[in-house]
Amino acid sequence: MSFGALVFRNLLRQRVRTILTVLGIAVGITTVVALGAITEGLRATSGDFVNAGGADFMVAQDGASDLTFSAVPARDVDRIAALDGVERANGALIEVSKQSGNPYFLVFGYEPESLADEPLTLVSGRLLELGAESEAILGSKAAAELGLEVGGTIEIDRHAFEVVGIYEVDDKLRAGGAIVPLAILQDVSRRQDVVTAIHVIVSRGADPDAVADAVERDLTGLAAIRNVDEYSKVDQGFEIIDAANLAISLLAVGIGAIGVMNTMIMSIFERTREIGILRAVGWRGSRILRLVVYESLFICLIAAAFGVALGILASRAVLLVPSVSTFLAPSYPPELFVRALAVGVLVALMGAIYPAARAVRLSPMEALRHE
Amino acid sequence: MSELAIEVRGLRKSFEDGRIAALNGMDLTVSAGEFVAIVGPSGCGKSTLLHLVAALDQPDAGEIRVAGHDLGTRKDLNHYRAHHVGMVFQLHNLLPSLTALENVQVPMFELGLAPPERRRRAAELLRLVGLAGRERNRPPELSGGERQRVAIARALANEPPILLADEPTGNLDSEAGRHVLDLLEALRRERGLTVVLVTHDSSVAARADRVVHMLDGKLDETAAAVHLPASTAPSVRPVGT
Repeated sequence: MSFGALVFRNLLRQRVRTILTVLGIAVGITTVVALGAITEGLRATSGDFVNAGGADFMVAQDGASDLTFSAVPARDVDRIAALDGVERANGALIEVSKQSGNPYFLVFGYEPESLADEPLTLVSGRLLELGAESEAILGSKAAAELGLEVGGTIEIDRHAFEVVGIYEVDDKLRAGGAIVPLAILQDVSRRQDVVTAIHVIVSRGADPDAVADAVERDLTGLAAIRNVDEYSKVDQGFEIIDAANLAISLLAVGIGAIGVMNTMIMSIFERTREIGILRAVGWRGSRILRLVVYESLFICLIAAAFGVALGILASRAVLLVPSVSTFLAPSYPPELFVRALAVGVLVALMGAIYPAARAVRLSPMEALRHE
Repeated sequence: MSELAIEVRGLRKSFEDGRIAALNGMDLTVSAGEFVAIVGPSGCGKSTLLHLVAALDQPDAGEIRVAGHDLGTRKDLNHYRAHHVGMVFQLHNLLPSLTALENVQVPMFELGLAPPERRRRAAELLRLVGLAGRERNRPPELSGGERQRVAIARALANEPPILLADEPTGNLDSEAGRHVLDLLEALRRERGLTVVLVTHDSSVAARADRVVHMLDGKLDETAAAVHLPASTAPSVRPVGT
């Protein structure tokens, strides 16, 4: 009989209680994993947009609470394009439009001539024509979701646009949205002379960081975002989600720890006499402590495994909502699983501290007298 | 004079904030290899004395020396309990969820032995106490006498020089009790164990080399210590063979 077998045997003695404790902690870890996967998915989607079209960085209004609220003067597109080291600057206006049950349908306004620089692959139809006013091209996902084909009509801000092309693109935001001429979108959304963001491609040999610094230095009120880690400069959403994620993780740890502590206290109380026997045959306090901590760890690691599996399932279930699936693909970076494991271990240790200390403090005779 | 295994001087122990005096200046010496029975009426402090010698509890006053070492100054009482004394309780105190073989292995965790070696030694001890073939049985599946023999095997797990037995036959029928006493005698003879046995049964005490009487928490001076001739118990071999 190994020490681990003894730990396992002890947990099996109260199967129902052990299973319920595992489930309780697993629910907390499920929340941590599911929310983390969705957050990471959103981050990846946003990261794709930051570098959309091979852009080295994106420029938006510094301090905007959400990227869609960013307002950059349209003349800044030309000012950035004129900076040393800039090969190309493409302005885009983003409008959120409700489309047949999808309240977050994204519409992108581009200068039609800049579309040639974008990595759009036409599936059918054509790109926007120069000077066109009421034409739209749809991402393949959006077309599928809305049931539209070339020749169909999409209404954006009470303005009808004819669908002239269907495209595929790597970033999920544009794959799930539509592209219309910038000028008409500025008009119908009443945001004349404004773009949401400017994608910048630097000249060959130029240092993207130096160019980004120059943009921030020369154009006041703008922020250059080189990657998703800098996204909080122009969108506070991730900070809020991260804070909520942390709060939920802490809640999961707290509730889980209380559950484990309750289980372990009951277990230790019921086994007080047995602990007395172990002390009577010479077991050191540290070995008793290890027994309790290992039992707690075992419960929490099983719960972590269940929680991760359920968390993945829950995050995949979100994709059953079509409007969400167009712009979100849950992401499972290794850090997410490390976080789940950390929550499990933290819950185990916090839940075991008091019961273990109580077990170790018992004198052999005091424990043996326990009825 | 033979080497002293246990030396107790002026031992005092009370419970419930001093309202109940269990030991009231108890003195006792036990020579190495001796089989001593401690007898006396219920509540005279016999079991308390044994528990203090086993370092399961702390005395209020007095001195306990085991093999020359003062328990009052020893820091590593866990080590003492694991290596120097084996304890057999009246109610066997086996772990109910473990098999006989596993129960005997429990003290061996302190020896740092690998699991296969622990299993081998435990099986050997169970064979020694006559329980070969019962290794996989849990305590509820064993008779009272068998449980007590498992408890004896567990007490011998780390090969301690001293075996302390608190009413080991108290819950057994006469036949099972006789087997247990035969075993203790045989172990004492073959292994040179020092055995201190607490009982209120004079027929059990009669199996010892020496009988010590206690009354009101100390030696009963009015009852002379009885020295008996060396036991003629069988040598150590599996009980029932």
